[in-house]
Amino acid sequence: MRRHVSLYGLTVSLPLLIWQLLFFVFPLVFLIALSFWTVRNFRMQPDFDTVNWITMYGRGIFWQAYATTLALATMAAVLTSIFAFPCAYAIAFKLPERAQRWAIMLMVIPFFTSYLVRIYSWQVFLSDAGIINVMLGWIGLGPYGLLNTPGATLLGYVTLALPLVVLLQLFSLIFIDRTLVEAAHNMRCGRLRTVFEVIVPSARVGLVIAGLFAFILSFGDFVSPIYLGGGDPTTLSILITDTTKSGQQWPRAAVIALTMIVTLMIVAFLSIRFAYRGRK
Amino acid sequence: MTQAPLVSFEGVVKRFGSYTAVQKIDLDISQGEFLALMGSSGCGKTTTLRMLAGLEAPTEGVIRLSGQPINDLPSWSRDTPMVWQSLALFPFLNVVENVEFALKMRGMGKADRRRRAEQWLDRMQIAEFAGRNISQLSGGQRQRVALARSLVVEPKILLLDEPLSALDAALKVRMQSVLKNLQRETGITFVYVTHSQSEAFSMADRVVIMSRGKVEQIGTPRDIYRAPRSRFVADFLGSSNIFSGELARDAQGRPTIVTDSGDFILPGVGAPGIEGQKSSLTVLDTRMQVHADAPQDVQNSVAARMVGEEFTGATATIYFETQSGQEVRVQKTHEELAGLDLQIGQLFHLSWSPSDGHLVNE
Repeated sequence: MRRHVSLYGLTVSLPLLIWQLLFFVFPLVFLIALSFWTVRNFRMQPDFDTVNWITMYGRGIFWQAYATTLALATMAAVLTSIFAFPCAYAIAFKLPERAQRWAIMLMVIPFFTSYLVRIYSWQVFLSDAGIINVMLGWIGLGPYGLLNTPGATLLGYVTLALPLVVLLQLFSLIFIDRTLVEAAHNMRCGRLRTVFEVIVPSARVGLVIAGLFAFILSFGDFVSPIYLGGGDPTTLSILITDTTKSGQQWPRAAVIALTMIVTLMIVAFLSIRFAYRGRK
Repeated sequence: MTQAPLVSFEGVVKRFGSYTAVQKIDLDISQGEFLALMGSSGCGKTTTLRMLAGLEAPTEGVIRLSGQPINDLPSWSRDTPMVWQSLALFPFLNVVENVEFALKMRGMGKADRRRRAEQWLDRMQIAEFAGRNISQLSGGQRQRVALARSLVVEPKILLLDEPLSALDAALKVRMQSVLKNLQRETGITFVYVTHSQSEAFSMADRVVIMSRGKVEQIGTPRDIYRAPRSRFVADFLGSSNIFSGELARDAQGRPTIVTDSGDFILPGVGAPGIEGQKSSLTVLDTRMQVHADAPQDVQNSVAARMVGEEFTGATATIYFETQSGQEVRVQKTHEELAGLDLQIGQLFHLSWSPSDGHLVNE
């Protein structure tokens, strides 16, 4: 259906449009321009030179970091979605309404504490003399090098995204028409099978968008790969900081940032298209 | 020869916390019958149906299907397909996938189930929509998909929960005949929940009228219409005039009822009840005669002033009020009313034969 732009609609949406223009489109345009500037004697100067693009795209470390980030963020999205689903499912389908409100409240609490604090507390658990290794030591195991590993980075990503993903999944599960579940049972579809045959397909849009958010958050995250992954392997966010710190290479950092933005756009576009596939 | 019932409810009670939705239902449903559960909302008809489908567990009593108790059988282990009021079609599947669903759950192969589903789509005259999304169908087409989806497993029994309530009046009537024919052709037992008297009475072989979790009356539509057993049923059907009073005997010793509108002679059949007992007499609105002058040769008559009229097609409903203020409704064809000068405010005499009256419990 085609909608006409009304004065009312314009008034309501205008502030958001202006906001987007000021804080997304203009910086983006500036970022694009910046990526063509050059750096001489640690000073940036406006220019139109493709040297930054050629340099960055010609470096193995860049593509390595790109592949690492893409793989870790994808794994984070999948793992977070899998960890979150039983929780969201139980809250949506098994809890009475009062308990549901409490559970939602509990899911919001992690947002109150700083992400950085949560990551530091993982260090307390994971480090060589940390809680996990001490406890393993009691039964004669370890110590294992848990910190500064890709697994630890992934753990940080899951920590970052899990509460949001549970909430997003929850809100898509709560609005599933319960008679669809009953109808499935009525047609000899058992409880577990109903989850895969009816509940997941019904909530597909919400579940995909929840996973997409986990991907977006992890893909751009800087804290977890530094403090839990130890910066090795390097992710794109770490590469950006390294590039800006070394010799004022802001234009090269802009190249990385733009590549990340384009990647996110493609991933978002593809996943939303997948989510709505077959719908009219 | 009496066949064992397909379904039997034996003293079934359903409570939700302190609320009793169904209190002690005893009901047998035989193979191949079209049974309507009828009543206003909250009467327990849907809960009764849902217990049969295994979507609610009875608090007390036993439900049997083909003689076996099914109280503890989860809904996915019984073959009691249901058609929901909302139809509950899966929006993420297209038409033929919806119809195939139950067959897929039974482990039927892809080619076989596709063929069976298409046969049913064809039978329901919606074969051309097989590949469409549910959202692209009209209300009537969705209805047919829902029926095909439930019937594709060729069950012994089909449960229907107000499936026509979302349709417009003309389509409702069309679907009624589709349902009735389908039931007759397949011989599948239909248990049909509705609040609509016209749906229940036009389709069902037997009607169960429920009120506040209890069965008020079970019978064929004709029996219930002619002889409502309680004042509630008579009121609910709305096609009878009800005169309430006390049982007595007149000078000749005939059983009568003494009401505010006058004394009326009761039908000879049935238990006359105890004198002095409170009771009600019901008379169908089509069974009342209207006279301009006081009739001489009738046994029951009452003077009443005309207060209104309503024309619906071939018949007219005339409203009267007796001197004691009771409303009396008379339904007649236009021919039957031809000789009368029907003016609002005018006094008429209404009569009926004692055999057209029915005594009901308060």
